[in-house]
Amino acid sequence: MTAIDAAAVTTPHKQRGETFFGRLWTGLTRSPAGFAGTLLVLLIVGFSFIGPLVVSKDNPVDATNIWAEPSAEHWLGTEYQGKDTFITLVNSGAEPIWVGTLAALMAVFVAVALGSIAGYYRGRIDAVLLQLTDVTVTIPQFLLMLAVVAFFENIPPWGIAIVVGSTMWAFLFRSIRAQVMSLKEREFVEAARLQNLGGARIVFREILPNMAGFIFVNFVISVNQAIYAIVGLFVLGLMPSGTPNWGLMIHNSWSQNFYLNPVTLPYVIAPLVMIVLFTVGLVTMGRGLDQALNPRLRER
Amino acid sequence: MTAPTAPPPQQRAAAAAPPGRTASGVMRRVWTSYAFRRILQSVFVIWLVSTITFLLMHFMPGDPIEIMAGRLNSAGMSHDQALATAANIVNYDPDASVWAQYLDFLKGLVTLDMGNSLTSPSKTVFDHVMEYLPWTLFAVGAGIVLATVIGLSIGMAAAYRRGSAFDHAMTSIGSFLTGVPNYILIAAVVVIGYTVLGILPFLDMRGRVTAGVEPGFDPVFFGDALYHAILPIIAFAFTATGSFLLNMKAATTEVLTEDYVTVARARGLKPGRISRSYVGRNAMLPVIPQVALQMGTLVGGSIVIEQILDYPGVGQMLMSAISDRDYPVVQAAVIILATSVVIASLIVDLVLVKIDPRIKTEGQDA
Amino acid sequence: MTEPILSVRDLSIAYRTGRKESVTAVSGIDLDLYEGQSLALVGESGCGKTTLGLGLLRLLPNLGEITSGSLTYRLKDGSTQDLLAMKKEQLRRFRWNEAAMVFQGAMNAFNPVIRIIDHFADTLRDHDCGDGKKWTKAAVEARAGELLETVRLDPDRVLQSYPHELSGGMKQRALIALAIALDPKVLVLDEPTTALDLLTQRSIVQQLHELRAKFGFTMVFITHDLGLAAELADRVATMYAGSIIETGSARDIFYTPKHPYTAGLINAVMPVKGDRPALESIPGFPPSLKAMPSGCAFHPRCEFATAACQGERVPLELLTERPQAMDHAVACLHHDRVRLDRKHNDSPKETSRV
Ligand SMILES: Nc1ncnc2c1ncn2[C@@H]1O[C@H](COP(=O)(O)OP(=O)(O)OP(=O)(O)O)[C@@H](O)[C@H]1O
Ligand code: SF4
Ligand SMILES: [Mg+2]
Repeated sequence: MTAIDAAAVTTPHKQRGETFFGRLWTGLTRSPAGFAGTLLVLLIVGFSFIGPLVVSKDNPVDATNIWAEPSAEHWLGTEYQGKDTFITLVNSGAEPIWVGTLAALMAVFVAVALGSIAGYYRGRIDAVLLQLTDVTVTIPQFLLMLAVVAFFENIPPWGIAIVVGSTMWAFLFRSIRAQVMSLKEREFVEAARLQNLGGARIVFREILPNMAGFIFVNFVISVNQAIYAIVGLFVLGLMPSGTPNWGLMIHNSWSQNFYLNPVTLPYVIAPLVMIVLFTVGLVTMGRGLDQALNPRLRER
Repeated sequence: MTAPTAPPPQQRAAAAAPPGRTASGVMRRVWTSYAFRRILQSVFVIWLVSTITFLLMHFMPGDPIEIMAGRLNSAGMSHDQALATAANIVNYDPDASVWAQYLDFLKGLVTLDMGNSLTSPSKTVFDHVMEYLPWTLFAVGAGIVLATVIGLSIGMAAAYRRGSAFDHAMTSIGSFLTGVPNYILIAAVVVIGYTVLGILPFLDMRGRVTAGVEPGFDPVFFGDALYHAILPIIAFAFTATGSFLLNMKAATTEVLTEDYVTVARARGLKPGRISRSYVGRNAMLPVIPQVALQMGTLVGGSIVIEQILDYPGVGQMLMSAISDRDYPVVQAAVIILATSVVIASLIVDLVLVKIDPRIKTEGQDA
Repeated sequence: MTEPILSVRDLSIAYRTGRKESVTAVSGIDLDLYEGQSLALVGESGCGKTTLGLGLLRLLPNLGEITSGSLTYRLKDGSTQDLLAMKKEQLRRFRWNEAAMVFQGAMNAFNPVIRIIDHFADTLRDHDCGDGKKWTKAAVEARAGELLETVRLDPDRVLQSYPHELSGGMKQRALIALAIALDPKVLVLDEPTTALDLLTQRSIVQQLHELRAKFGFTMVFITHDLGLAAELADRVATMYAGSIIETGSARDIFYTPKHPYTAGLINAVMPVKGDRPALESIPGFPPSLKAMPSGCAFHPRCEFATAACQGERVPLELLTERPQAMDHAVACLHHDRVRLDRKHNDSPKETSRV
């Protein structure tokens, strides 16, 4: 175990000549449900981000034509101000999706950074971080967010993303740490350690690429959780927003009791359907990928 | 069927040095005991959340007293009167230093004196929150119990019938329930059940009790309260059921491959006993912490759900306090809700210690 | 001559490995066991010993299946029964009461969340043995204490312990005590000492001797360790690639093995010279279950192999007839050419283990 030929030390992810996206693709195609979920997610992301470029932005208030039935002109009818519901819907997805994604990115970033440090170096820092997550996990995150929003009105959406992200990382920390710890024991990492490659390099070049699939799955699940919190805040009407969004549509439907009136159905149901589709897409995608990319689960 | 070798010499060494014979040993045992550490941690979390709310209030844009006085002022009070009332409402001296205010605030926490409500200045914030809290805790608690019963039994059944149509159906339902926000699901239930189909008497079900029903220890009251809480209970059960179901299925699948289950079969134990005390009890262990985690999410989510269902619990109270800028109430509600979540998950964890004998002796590294 | 207590005919066991594929892990086993006899099953890792042992109690995991054969037991009431024809409840009552098994790796044989005494209570209560006795807490405690004492465990300490509070050796003993709780007639022990240190191994073997003398159960003893086999067994069966390739009395097998594989095993343990076991004495590896060689499965590794060995499957051939299924039989076309490397004049009992 002394002389190890550096060239012979190849990490598994390079060895198989596969890129991360290659494996992602195999993973997705191997699981039909995961594939369907991904399609659903892409469909809604496309609808919400490409849709606004295609559909006419022009959506005037028209007091003479409120709650119009769906028609060729207004696919989903009009809402309480006479605006076209479909155009509103097309423009409503972008904000929750990007804020949710940002929050999830933050959570995953913090969890991976702290999880790698804790799992790789162990010792005191590990113990401290474990304690910290134990505490963070018990804080009711939504309440904390609510408090922040209540006392500091007019927080920009990215600020909310940071608040959400900083309460979510703790839920990922333990599994990332455990994964780092188990990868650290594997031969290829062992070999790199014997070459004195240095902790940071080993973590970034050897360990993290090998758990990319795992991290990605956690990211997908985190987006879902962030959406819960962010749409929730919009539904409560606690976040200022210039643009229409799913949560705001629901807020309008409820705060003005539209939802009790059958005439309003397209407007009331549309955001519910979008959120259901998007979140279902995310979980099926996450679960499908999880099974495909994490062999231990597949065996069962 | 392989087993790690347990080196007996080490075991003997451990047994030869019984900890905790001396007084300092006893202190160390208490200090390192799981329950003690867990309680300490809970106190810490409550303190942390309280301090955060204190800081939020302190650093919020503008002077809280001025803002509250402004609100009272616009409600018809003279400026000086409003300022005096506002200063009276908070449980600290507005002119003191931050540190003095913080100490006052902490003292107030311990003595449950968290100031008065801005909207009804004669009422203490604590009393105000407590008027609403039981309704929410009742619905959340019932939802959790319902979710635990349904989720654990279906999850276990799915694991026993892995690969069957039942398993696939239940796993899909479980993913659906965990994935979609519970307030969206219950909103859909209301819209479809009431607005579209007209079969759900939603308008009657709103509120706490039907007009005319007097609170008291009688079945009419309890029945009516339950009737009004059904939708919130279902809403709370949604996410938790899905999560418990999936977790229980995974845990049971794992436990079914354990040697002690095969051995229990070999021992000719009755199938009911095997699934109860051998499979079920062990599979529950990793799921129980999930119950504690769900609690926090549910209480937080209760604010949205109560808004959607028009259920006058503490969430709805919190919302109107936020829109009234009744800051002392907001602060107290956040602290009290967080405290109840922390206590609930503490209880769950301590119950876990009772069920899993290994926790007591293990270190904290899981 | 009495009837055998267990009679196995043409037993084959397969594991499903895919939606349509399966591998045969054990094939065509014929075996008679007489009351009080002790049989050692020996062979390399993966040759199917555990599978056969589990099969004897119909305890195979979900993916395993008995594909042919019969397993006839003579029960305590004197009747004979085919285990494969038993219904669920009948099978449940049979297990542990008629035949018990001590598992390979008993470390995880106990439910971690209940006490040792509860394991005894559950077992006794689910098999209320007909004499109308209620297994009260005190009755269980008395019976379990008695059983633990026969394996030299202190009941006061062990009964109220949780499994994780016991050492490996203590758990193994407790499991043996549990196995004899219902006084079974057949006891299958799957490598009961493998994970233990030498001293503990010795004392467990010693206790098995005593227990057998006291209770007179029939024993199937699965092991890698020829020394243990020599010590505990009256009779030995060597397995290779899922089949029994030689069987006979311990004396026949250890002094005059007739299968090149058995001879190789013995040579591997008992060195010709010096103190280092000649582990390389059987070159090559056991075959994969998916690509089983034709004819004699051992031929790719056999120094005596001829073209004839690759043709038909080689059946067990009776060499010497002895009473009560102690017959020496071997599945080798050239058994007359097989010799041990040297004349053993020391008893195999005194040799060391692998
Ligand atoms: N659940 C299973 N699924 C598929 N194949 C299996 C399964 N269990 C065992 N096998 C295969 O059956 C063969 C026999 O396994 P078995 O455990 O009976 O061997 P063994 O002789 O007991 O080995 P060891 O001495 O290592 O315990 C092996 O080739 C093994 O790979
Ligand atoms: S039959 Fe042939 S190959 Fe098989 S053991 Fe005998 S001599 Fe060797
Ligand atoms: Mg085995």
